[in-house]
Amino acid sequence: MNQTVLVQGSSEELVLFPHIIELSVVKNSSTQLNAFPKTIASGIKFLYVLDGKFHWNIHNGEYTVYPGDAALILPGQEFGSPSGVLEIGSFSFLHIKASLRDADEIILDKWSSLSGNEMIAISKILLLNSPLVITKINEAGKILKCIHQELCNQEVGYYARVNNNIDELFILLTRQLTRQNNPGRDFPKTFTKLDEALRQDIAHQWTVDEMAALVGLGNTLFNEKVKSYTGFSPLNYLISIRITEAIKLLKKRNISITDIALDTGFYSSQHFSTTFKKLTGFTPGEFRKNNSYTE
Amino acid sequence: MKCIITIELGTNAVRIFAFDLNGITIGSMKGYYPTFHSQPDYSEQDPEQIFITMLYVLKNLLNEKIHPKKYKVASVCFTSSMHSTLVVDKHGIPLGNAFTWADNRAKKEAIEIKASPLGDLMYNSTGTPLHPMSPMLKIAWMKKNDTQKFQQAGKFLSIKSYVVHQLTGEYIIDYSMACATGMLNIHKIAWEPEALRFAGISSDKLPQLMPVFATAGTLKKAYQNSFGLSADTKILIGSSDGCMATLGAGIWNSDKATITIEDSSAVRVVGNKILHDEKKRIFNYLITENCFVSGGPSNSGGGTFEWFSKQFGDFAAAYDIDSCMNSLLQEAAKIPTGSGGLLFLPYLLGERAPIWNPDARGMYFGINIKHERQHFIRATIEGILYEIYSIGKMLNEHKNISALSVNGSFASIPFCTQMIADIFNKPVYITKNANSVSIGAYLLAATEMGIFKTLDEAAGQIEIAKSYSPAENHHNTYMKYFDIFESLSNKLGDEFAKIAELQ
Repeated sequence: MNQTVLVQGSSEELVLFPHIIELSVVKNSSTQLNAFPKTIASGIKFLYVLDGKFHWNIHNGEYTVYPGDAALILPGQEFGSPSGVLEIGSFSFLHIKASLRDADEIILDKWSSLSGNEMIAISKILLLNSPLVITKINEAGKILKCIHQELCNQEVGYYARVNNNIDELFILLTRQLTRQNNPGRDFPKTFTKLDEALRQDIAHQWTVDEMAALVGLGNTLFNEKVKSYTGFSPLNYLISIRITEAIKLLKKRNISITDIALDTGFYSSQHFSTTFKKLTGFTPGEFRKNNSYTE
Repeated sequence: MKCIITIELGTNAVRIFAFDLNGITIGSMKGYYPTFHSQPDYSEQDPEQIFITMLYVLKNLLNEKIHPKKYKVASVCFTSSMHSTLVVDKHGIPLGNAFTWADNRAKKEAIEIKASPLGDLMYNSTGTPLHPMSPMLKIAWMKKNDTQKFQQAGKFLSIKSYVVHQLTGEYIIDYSMACATGMLNIHKIAWEPEALRFAGISSDKLPQLMPVFATAGTLKKAYQNSFGLSADTKILIGSSDGCMATLGAGIWNSDKATITIEDSSAVRVVGNKILHDEKKRIFNYLITENCFVSGGPSNSGGGTFEWFSKQFGDFAAAYDIDSCMNSLLQEAAKIPTGSGGLLFLPYLLGERAPIWNPDARGMYFGINIKHERQHFIRATIEGILYEIYSIGKMLNEHKNISALSVNGSFASIPFCTQMIADIFNKPVYITKNANSVSIGAYLLAATEMGIFKTLDEAAGQIEIAKSYSPAENHHNTYMKYFDIFESLSNKLGDEFAKIAELQ
């Protein structure tokens, strides 16, 4: 096995980059038993296959990856070879520090210039689509190579460039992933996936940016497509789902109106009440009185 | 100025139209709601979301198009897709989602009753083919497979009955929607005791039967206020989308048939006689006493061509299916009639009329080395329309059809309309307003108001926009291929069953 390795703590190149745990190129010329066991990731791992063919176990699923394919392993996900064997071939590997907040938001440190909202959107997409195997993405290989060169050459501006390139890797993989999963042919199918995602987390404060990113469209085209397909703007469609869920909860006696408001994604019971009354003509309280019965 | 509002609770969206009393469209809006497929054969919709979507769209239409122009809404007329089944408890609260017409979980029940002597009796009395779509069979399924829900049931409703109940507090169903439950005796206009027995319910579990012109009670006070509608706005129960598309096509009580091709399709005729089919293939929906809409529905249609386009078309821009389909149609037009002997069976979703085989599957037949991509495009369209023709042929055995009124987004594509004329060898016309379901509901409401004396007179108002004449030489070519198409459809029964089992 022939490796080019930079490891936090022992490689001087990484002193300025405490968030990079490891950056390496693994070249393996003979099968190695027990060299690639399954482990649970702390932080985020990027892998990009350069040569050969690998069978990997990622987050309970088995995948075969080929040159040009990338895999992304998120905090807490298991990764390794199903049999522990390191197969013949080579791949680039980048391991960075990251944590999960409330199991649904990936937190990077200050080095990243991705904005809070962008990171929320990227987290949503990565978590909803995991495990993450992205096929034929040569760009990712180039970016990893560039990070490596910048770290070794240390030319002026390299600190910014290394971090920008890690951000770029996140953006590239996220965009490619949404395109891979939504090939731009079947809008009803794509919309169904969005509808499911909204329902799974109706309490979340969804933004149009997040929804558009989730289906891999820019905001303008997304608004236009949703409007012509559903008759609703994206946010009004979301409200229709929220009120629908609220109605079901109002018809049960055992949950308070404030809880219903928060559980269905309204930011206050006041906001819930106004929206509900505007649509139905009833306040939530009146609606409940007319529609539920104690046994 | 008075106006009429029509509300169509369709397969995947509510469409609301406002018409003035001359039948001119004042405005229209739609709102989408999703269908859930949690398992194969399951197809469900959330009644609360449908209701909320309806409220949202109605309110916007009123506030944007009706109130600013000072229209007074005389009546609101409902139509909806058929065969939906929703269970509510004794307080009217839904027990889970509604099953849509496309829900096939009652397959076994359908096979069981078809094989029993009860099958003949049921078709004779209800005039409706026995198919898993039928609410009678869906209820029978629930009795066996979801006993808790079945026992808690206060009423078994359609989505339309539920929405109307939310607005007025009344549980009612019109004759035509009642026919679509498979439980109405169309000779006696009463629930059929044998059907109720098979479903395992008594008639008090069903909404009250009413003519299509019936008023469905008064709009609740809170909705009067919220919509800005007065207490004397009539809420009309109306009919089903299929029956209203027929009325809106203007073919009432004549020797014409109407062809509707949207995602799925249907061929229908209207007359004062039940079309009794020995093979139990034709539905007969009662509209008013002695007036029946008869015909056959197909699972194939524009949806089948859309499938083809998504798989094999070129997309210049993301999700731009319209221009993708247009360029496919242009390519198809370059290929001669009959696609050089390439045949397509369009049974991607199984089939209803005329073969009534849920296991049927699609096929390209007769491929040779000279066939190119364009042949496949044209063959796909021809196959979809051969299937429509086979329904027309079945109806023609019972009733002479002299001309066709065609509507729906797929059938009204000029290339397809001309092909229909050629395949049927009959004159075909397109009506001025393409939204035939809404126009039909408007005509129904206008007749109720006394603007027209009868539905016949109302149907006479429909104006023709364009006519197509058949070309006999093309017809002769098509018939040679249709022969093979028809025998393949009938011959492959065993193979269909085997492949469906494996899938």
